[in-house]
Amino acid sequence: MSYCVNCGVELGKDLKRCPLCGTVVLNPNDVDRESELPFFPQRRENIEPVSKRELALLLSVMFASVAICCGLLNLALRPEIRWWLYAAGAAAMLWIWFIPPLLWRGMPSLARLTLDIGAVALYVLLIALASGGIDWYMGLALPIIVALAVISLIICYLLRGGHRSILMSIVICLVGIGTMSVAIELILDVYISSQWNPGWSLIVLAVCLGFSMPLIIIRIVPSLREEARRRFHL
Amino acid sequence: MSHRKVSWYKMDNASVMYSSLQKEEYSAIYRFSAVMREKVQPDALQRAIDKVMPRFPGFRSRIRKGFFWYYFEPNKAPGPFLKEDVAEPCRPVRFNEDNNWLVRFYYYDRRISVEVFHAISDGAGTLVFMRCLLAQYLRETGVDIPCDCGIQNIEEKSTAEEWEDAYSKYAVKHCKAQHLIKRAYQNIGTPERFYTFNVTMGFMPVDKLKARAKSMGVSITDYLCGALMFVLIEKQRREHPIKEKPIALSVPVNLRAYFPTKTMRNFILTVQPWIDPSLGDYSFEEVVSIVHHYMRIHCSPNEMRAAFSRNVRFQKNKFLKLVPRIFKNPIMAISYKLKGTRPYSAIMTNPGIFKVPEEMEPYIEHMEVIQGQATVPRPHLASMSFGNIMEVTFSGTMKEAELEREFFRFLVRDGIPVHIESNRQRADLAEGVN
Repeated sequence: MSYCVNCGVELGKDLKRCPLCGTVVLNPNDVDRESELPFFPQRRENIEPVSKRELALLLSVMFASVAICCGLLNLALRPEIRWWLYAAGAAAMLWIWFIPPLLWRGMPSLARLTLDIGAVALYVLLIALASGGIDWYMGLALPIIVALAVISLIICYLLRGGHRSILMSIVICLVGIGTMSVAIELILDVYISSQWNPGWSLIVLAVCLGFSMPLIIIRIVPSLREEARRRFHL
Repeated sequence: MSHRKVSWYKMDNASVMYSSLQKEEYSAIYRFSAVMREKVQPDALQRAIDKVMPRFPGFRSRIRKGFFWYYFEPNKAPGPFLKEDVAEPCRPVRFNEDNNWLVRFYYYDRRISVEVFHAISDGAGTLVFMRCLLAQYLRETGVDIPCDCGIQNIEEKSTAEEWEDAYSKYAVKHCKAQHLIKRAYQNIGTPERFYTFNVTMGFMPVDKLKARAKSMGVSITDYLCGALMFVLIEKQRREHPIKEKPIALSVPVNLRAYFPTKTMRNFILTVQPWIDPSLGDYSFEEVVSIVHHYMRIHCSPNEMRAAFSRNVRFQKNKFLKLVPRIFKNPIMAISYKLKGTRPYSAIMTNPGIFKVPEEMEPYIEHMEVIQGQATVPRPHLASMSFGNIMEVTFSGTMKEAELEREFFRFLVRDGIPVHIESNRQRADLAEGVN
């Protein structure tokens, strides 16, 4: 019988490593180790994850029903306006939001976010087409959605895994909000007057940076971090 | 239950919770195993299962989904059938698989294992069943075992008292919630991949454990709880948190000791011994003393009855009864997170000594107990003893083995020899050597 040199516990005859610390068992006197029947069985049951196809099918049928019912109602109610397209588009957008995560187990959050924002872009495109507003879509809605997508993806990438400290997470979100406000004003200005006249967005950015800089300093300097903990009873 | 044909019956307070919470990432399944002196004879064991199961109708039930609540129904499907044991025990139950059975039987070499979904019975009830099964198995192999020491006569029919809802029976109008700390140190680690369940068992001599506990004037359960809390305090301190959170254990108490009943359904309540490490350093003796006194003060019949009466009142609330089940389940999940997960650092259960008639003792080497996976990746602790062998199990879906390592090292340092068995056999554990 062998003992772990680190833990001091007696180890089972079939153990090749200490299960507590991983230290390899080396006992020249214990030559029968390989022939021992393992203490725990080795047979593994192949268990499939629970299929969510039924739920996906149920939701798909629900969304399709909404779209079809609205289409039929549209024939009877205000047929001159194709309002059913808005309902059908919303159902399609919800389908993209909820069904792929059900069918794709462990879907990466970045892929899901991209898909979700893509669905929003398509839905807004549908509204633009139905209302004859392709100009505002190309000049205003699409650039804003693309800017939102890029900034959201960068924030998600930086915060992935949840390993960032609270202070750095707040800083990243604040900088993201500031950048987003600048991007929105830029897109609005270019769409309305074809030139950028920075105004309110710079104030938002300045406020965000104004809050971020002290937080970065507190995060970097240990004495300040300790002081903040003490002052705020963290 | 046997006097009239029962087509369905309501769940007790604990069953409602376990059924609602059941999912792929949580297992309210626990396992008792008896390691025999001789290799198990599967045919004899299957015969024993077939003969014992009718005596325990509660174990022959399945869960059905009602519109407002889950409920039990007698399971008339063939089985349950004995299976060869698997590497990862206590896998979560799926209500619509395995012929809807909520109890499983396994054998491996000299080990006989019974896995039970917590909704149908608690540890004390299952141990009565286990005792009868082992006695019948030995009878099938030609050993004469008498019906004493808690072994039921399988020729007799079960009584209604054995399957009564003792929570409702003893619930009173005056009720009060237990005083729980809201958030304890969570002791959460890295989750394993899908369906990987780590089990580490420590075996130690009961006489040495008892002598050490007695030297401190406490019981073995108090001593083990104290040791666990002590290593949790040290573990949290090594993580350098901004503020140290309290260390709290969830310790199930068998209510049958306080409220006489023959029920084999759930009848337990948890108490929460806790300690606040932010107040300063505690010696091991101080931690054990706090656990010991906490348990004595809070395991009072009045306090426990007030607590479970509150749960029963919640279950019988007329407004809640009208809420459909699909809405109740998320509410129960949130409630369990707030009241069953956050206030605790670990669960420590000790079903106690496994007593059998003298005629059975030479055929059993030791007993084992394993708890199923928690809702979060952290290990559960369970222990039980047979003869002079105390078995302590850490089980969970946490990759790191730090807590069990420090716990067993602590016992060794405290003079308790420990023998280790585990299904962990990975080289990556070596990264954590210290």
